[in-house]
Amino acid sequence: MKRKVAVVAQAQINSADVGMPRERMLFELVKGLYDKVGITRDDIDTFVLCSNDFNAGHTISNVFEDCPIGAYMKDETKVEADGVMAATYALVRILSGLYDVALVVGASQGGSVMRPYLMMDYMLAPVYDRQLGLMNELSMAGLEARAYLDAAGVSADKLDEIAARNLAQAARNPDAFNGKAGVTAADVAASDLLYEPLRQGHCYPFTDGACALLIAGEKKAKELTDKPVWIKGVGDSLDTYHAERELASSRSVKLAGERAFKMAGIAAGDLEVVEPSAKFAHQEPIILESLGLGPDGSGAAVSPSGGALGAYAFNSAGLVRIAECYKQLTGTAGDTQVSGAKTALAHGQDGFCMQHSAVMILSAEEG
Amino acid sequence: MNNVAVVGVGYTPVFVSKRKDVNIAEMISESVEAALKNTNLTPDDIDAVTFGNMQTFEGLNMPHLWASEHILALDKPTIRISTGGTTGMSTLQAAYYYVASGLYDTVMAVSWEKQSEGDSQVGLAGIVMPEAMVMVQHGLDLFGGGGLSAMGGGSTGAAAFQAMSYLHHSGADPEHIDKMAALERSNAALNPYAHLRKKTSVEDIQATPFIAWPLRFGHTCPTSDGATTCIVMSEEKARKLDWQVAWITGLGSATSDPSTANFLEGQLTDPAEQMPAKLAAAKAYKMAGIKDPTREFDMAEMYNGFAHQSLMWLEKLGCCKEGEAHKMLDAGALNIDGELPTNASGGVFSTNAIGASAMNRPAECALQIMGKTEGGHKIPKKIRKALSHGWGGMFQYVTVMVLADEPAKL
Repeated sequence: MKRKVAVVAQAQINSADVGMPRERMLFELVKGLYDKVGITRDDIDTFVLCSNDFNAGHTISNVFEDCPIGAYMKDETKVEADGVMAATYALVRILSGLYDVALVVGASQGGSVMRPYLMMDYMLAPVYDRQLGLMNELSMAGLEARAYLDAAGVSADKLDEIAARNLAQAARNPDAFNGKAGVTAADVAASDLLYEPLRQGHCYPFTDGACALLIAGEKKAKELTDKPVWIKGVGDSLDTYHAERELASSRSVKLAGERAFKMAGIAAGDLEVVEPSAKFAHQEPIILESLGLGPDGSGAAVSPSGGALGAYAFNSAGLVRIAECYKQLTGTAGDTQVSGAKTALAHGQDGFCMQHSAVMILSAEEG
Repeated sequence: MNNVAVVGVGYTPVFVSKRKDVNIAEMISESVEAALKNTNLTPDDIDAVTFGNMQTFEGLNMPHLWASEHILALDKPTIRISTGGTTGMSTLQAAYYYVASGLYDTVMAVSWEKQSEGDSQVGLAGIVMPEAMVMVQHGLDLFGGGGLSAMGGGSTGAAAFQAMSYLHHSGADPEHIDKMAALERSNAALNPYAHLRKKTSVEDIQATPFIAWPLRFGHTCPTSDGATTCIVMSEEKARKLDWQVAWITGLGSATSDPSTANFLEGQLTDPAEQMPAKLAAAKAYKMAGIKDPTREFDMAEMYNGFAHQSLMWLEKLGCCKEGEAHKMLDAGALNIDGELPTNASGGVFSTNAIGASAMNRPAECALQIMGKTEGGHKIPKKIRKALSHGWGGMFQYVTVMVLADEPAKL
């Protein structure tokens, strides 16, 4: 990379029902971040928003988001994809040399306002797939889960174990809301069966959420914080829409990972923390294996935050994964802290069965 | 910072009201194929794709997912940008940043709209209605209040406020809007990629009915189906091509607030004031080394959903003093063979596939600089510096891009 760029602060809100409009939620979040860092909106060179018209319920979803976050009369743009892509775009804008400080803000209200599964339905090809009514987020996730279990030769018990671990971790993370302290695999196995082998307990919760990341070039980053978290590599890849693609592994994750590892000059085995956007329990091993790790992470701590099962708001979710890596690498992850973690990977996804994946590799070491 | 150039443009073969012969993904692919053909590139030459449209207009969420093969993005880094009316230029600016960052050498920017598959005015009502709700809460009668009834005209109703303010402050007459409309429609008649291609007189425009004073039907843009693709390259790659390329020398964007009637603040935001245009232009001009925007541009492509806007934006972007644009029009300076040919393409006013409209502006500049304009709207002089512009939202989003025949000195 042409210049060193770091994440210097994070703030996030996650809730089943945040109890206020999206604009108010964004104002509270971003004003809080400014106050925490000791800056004002004047210190931001470029604003990258991350939201989606379907989740906002009106066109040009950023139309009412700019003023609450302080983008009035400032440089502003909007990414309509997962938060990791928005953070990547902020990085790219800083790398261009035209900006030093970027604020990335993602938000949606899938808990109280919009039903996330419906939003996914509108991703289907309109003439055939959407009318046919067979494909939806859960049915596709069910097929993906079955494909993985068959390929890996394991039973659905594995999914219950993964979900239980994530839900228990989420209970220790004050930024997640769907944690369940003391939950067991048996508890998950007792939850409703949705599409075989997918159970309710394997799925991400409907979430109202927002996340803001402050990203800066080297000089500014060091002025703004004593503990910058350096962005070492990014990568993303778009797979085919068509459902006949391989589901037991993810080509988009594999290619995104390869690109990011190459840029960062590290191997998958160097990771100490992995924060995958596994919206369903079975996606966690798929992501890990596609990154080149074993199904349990080959020694890296997997989703210490509780991952997507702890909270998953479209658009902000990918930013939350980066924020959770930031917490780990700055030693501020509290009860979920992985001791001495230096290198972490955040993953985000869009589409059915992770059609589009993006990853970002972060490090506590400037290098 | 790396120098970045637009090296090729691909349009769908036509921009029309209804493309019944292709679906959305197929239509987009036509512009992608045209861009590759025009640059002799293959899919393997493309490092990454940026993609944009206004998704609620077709009721299709994140359509790059469905269209991944059609936009040649399979297994490639791909980002979706959507910023309202400015989407097309925001998408091209994303491609610029991707290359300027040094991460990629060749990036394809794809923008489109197929307005026949939805109802854009219904989509836009989603951002107008919250405004109206605030007004109702403050006791304004939606049906009795003369000004608010203009909302019945959809975006034309909202633009009417702006046109009124522009006329009031500039000293231009409503007939100047008719004249600009006739000029651009006649320009469009020469452009094979324009939608409304009919040589039009001032009298023709004046024969059309009013929608919301002072805007007539003949002052408003059509709704179009079409797609535009631009390919941008790093200087290292672009220098190896054997044709003139168009260098992106300056860019800017800025946003204001979404309210044309900012009741919560107890004041009105004048939609013709356009501080964001001034901010975005100042940034782009500084980057491009433009010291006197009234003299240095050889052409301008304004984003004008409505005919008064071509004149208004020229003033707001500093191409002339405030109140001077209509005098330039009267003097013939805005004609294709004038001093500052403005919307030689016919503008958004004649062709509006919304997601692509703000990309067509710099694309037209690039084609004129490269000497690759098809049809009779080729400007009969060497184009060295060109100004392109986009606006969106409730008039609060502005993007600006300066293109030139030589890269900026870095």
